[in-house]
Amino acid sequence: MDPFLVTVWVVRLLFLGLLYLFLFRIARALVGDLRAAAREPGAELGRLVVVASPGGEPVEGSSLPLDAIATIGRDVNNAIVVDDQFVSAEHAILTFRGRAWYAEDLGSTNGTFVNGAPVEGVVPLGFGDVVQVGQVKLRLERPRPPTRR
Amino acid sequence: MTAAAAPRLPAILGTIRPRPRGRETRLLLLVGLTILVGSVSLELAGRVTDPGESAGLSPANPTHLAIYLGLIALAHVALILSGRRVDQILLPATAMLGGISLLLMERLPQSQVVQTVGPWKLGLGDIQLAWLVLSFGLATVLAITVRNDRWLRLYKYTWAAAGVALLLATYLLGDDINGQRLSLSLGPISGQPAELLKVILVVFLAGYLSEYRPLLVEESTKVGPISLPPVPFLAPMAAMWAIALGLVVVQRDLGAALLFFTVFLFLLYAATGRLGYVVLGVLLFLAGSWVMYHLVHTVQTRVDIWLDPFASPTGDGYQIVQALYAFARGGLLGTGLGAGLPTVGGRLPIPAVHTDFPLAALGEELGMVGVMAILGLFLVVVERGLRIAASAADEFRALLAAGLALVIGTQALIIVAGNLKLIPLTGITLPFVSYGGSSLLVNGIIVGLLLALSDRGVEPPPPPRQPSRFARLTGRVTRPETPAAARAPLPPAAPLQPGGTEG
Repeated sequence: MDPFLVTVWVVRLLFLGLLYLFLFRIARALVGDLRAAAREPGAELGRLVVVASPGGEPVEGSSLPLDAIATIGRDVNNAIVVDDQFVSAEHAILTFRGRAWYAEDLGSTNGTFVNGAPVEGVVPLGFGDVVQVGQVKLRLERPRPPTRR
Repeated sequence: MTAAAAPRLPAILGTIRPRPRGRETRLLLLVGLTILVGSVSLELAGRVTDPGESAGLSPANPTHLAIYLGLIALAHVALILSGRRVDQILLPATAMLGGISLLLMERLPQSQVVQTVGPWKLGLGDIQLAWLVLSFGLATVLAITVRNDRWLRLYKYTWAAAGVALLLATYLLGDDINGQRLSLSLGPISGQPAELLKVILVVFLAGYLSEYRPLLVEESTKVGPISLPPVPFLAPMAAMWAIALGLVVVQRDLGAALLFFTVFLFLLYAATGRLGYVVLGVLLFLAGSWVMYHLVHTVQTRVDIWLDPFASPTGDGYQIVQALYAFARGGLLGTGLGAGLPTVGGRLPIPAVHTDFPLAALGEELGMVGVMAILGLFLVVVERGLRIAASAADEFRALLAAGLALVIGTQALIIVAGNLKLIPLTGITLPFVSYGGSSLLVNGIIVGLLLALSDRGVEPPPPPRQPSRFARLTGRVTRPETPAAARAPLPPAAPLQPGGTEG
């Protein structure tokens, strides 16, 4: 066996081996990310970011994870309690049906608005849309993914 | 030095707060090591083959590798210094692909491409290195400087118009190469605008689909048992279909047409989650293909070659037959870098191996094991893109990230399948691996945008846009008719009354 030829083949196989080592390291990192995602309890379907809240409750800038059905109002039994004098006790409801979010006004005194337009009946919501109840503005955002860091 | 005299950066960069990127550092070290071992392997192969046979084999140029790896290290340091929390896997994965590309281009006969710039005579490896440097440089600059996406989001129709203009310019002013009119020369610089069109297409589709998604999901027109999208929204699908067919008829650019339409269907499905659209799209595609097969000679030739390349192994089928032989010679582990046949006597058995068939050359020299690793790298890029999409703050960014990643993935899929004779061959590039300036630059833009999008610290998405014509057309979504109404602090016309307890 020519020792030089053996060296050549060792180097060649080393190159392929390193390629796979690289892929393996990446795969491990990806699996780690996925595990972290799986550990997160109850995947949320979206979240509301508080854009404006003169009353201070909810706190401006905070973000609230949403379940499939989220009621908004001044009553403490709502999923999202809004302390604003222009908001009714049971003001509006956001529902996730199948593939998209929908907003519905629950007969509130001052109405619910999506991007400034009054809500009549059930209105589909896109991520990024702003829902307004009373003086409080809430922006619907995509669910936040769990991160490792 | 007082605090006031502390160095201030341009506002666009913000204050410097370096953030370590340990994962990326470790992966990049591995990339460097792998590429170095590859170049040693290439060097040794040059000594193994007898001088007569290796006439066309050029040994790896250590300066080139040093420049390439140095640039990647520089990009890494720049990302650390910028302090942005961007993805740490995308850069190593693409750097590995670029490194493999550099090894391959160094190894192919340099006379494949020769350009004279001033006093220098540049060969294949030199030019590829220059483009790789520009591409990764562009990616890094975009990753660091892109802090918001308004310039993409708000001007989607402008971008679309620019894309169409680019296409028209290519058609009217372009140069014919191999019967395809794809490249456009501007003085000394020539490029293939169709490459840039990929990005523009994704930007436009992301903008369009994110705006009309709720309507696309909700509405439907029943035709028998199939539920179709509402009629006004069929227009973009028809337009995409027409553009794809137009590319085939006018420019004979089968690859781009296939890529555009596939990415469109992917994005449509990603945005709506409705299989009906995809089925409709595939049916349209099949109908279009059938018509094209009978109308356009190029399509017919390509399909016939695909069905039976051995009918004319020295004529039309020559390229694909040689590629199949190359894969077969490679076997499981390959012949080793630099020891394949593509250089015998300085002559190339596979024409256009550096642009259309890099995978065949790599398949011969790295074997099936190597090809699998390369496919794995593309898979990683796509996974990262989709992951970035899943974590995006709103629809537009999600669709943009998914679309950009899918462009790379789909393109790799189409050309790899073409090389392996799984589908008719279409002449598009293997991202990051093929020789070609336009392709590399655009891939750099894609990686840069993906990196920028992966940062969760970017500006929040701007507020939604004013009512759209289509939305009002269908009457489903009522939005204010005048922008003034939206700007008023409290939209209701009637004075607000305290809500009270009545509900």
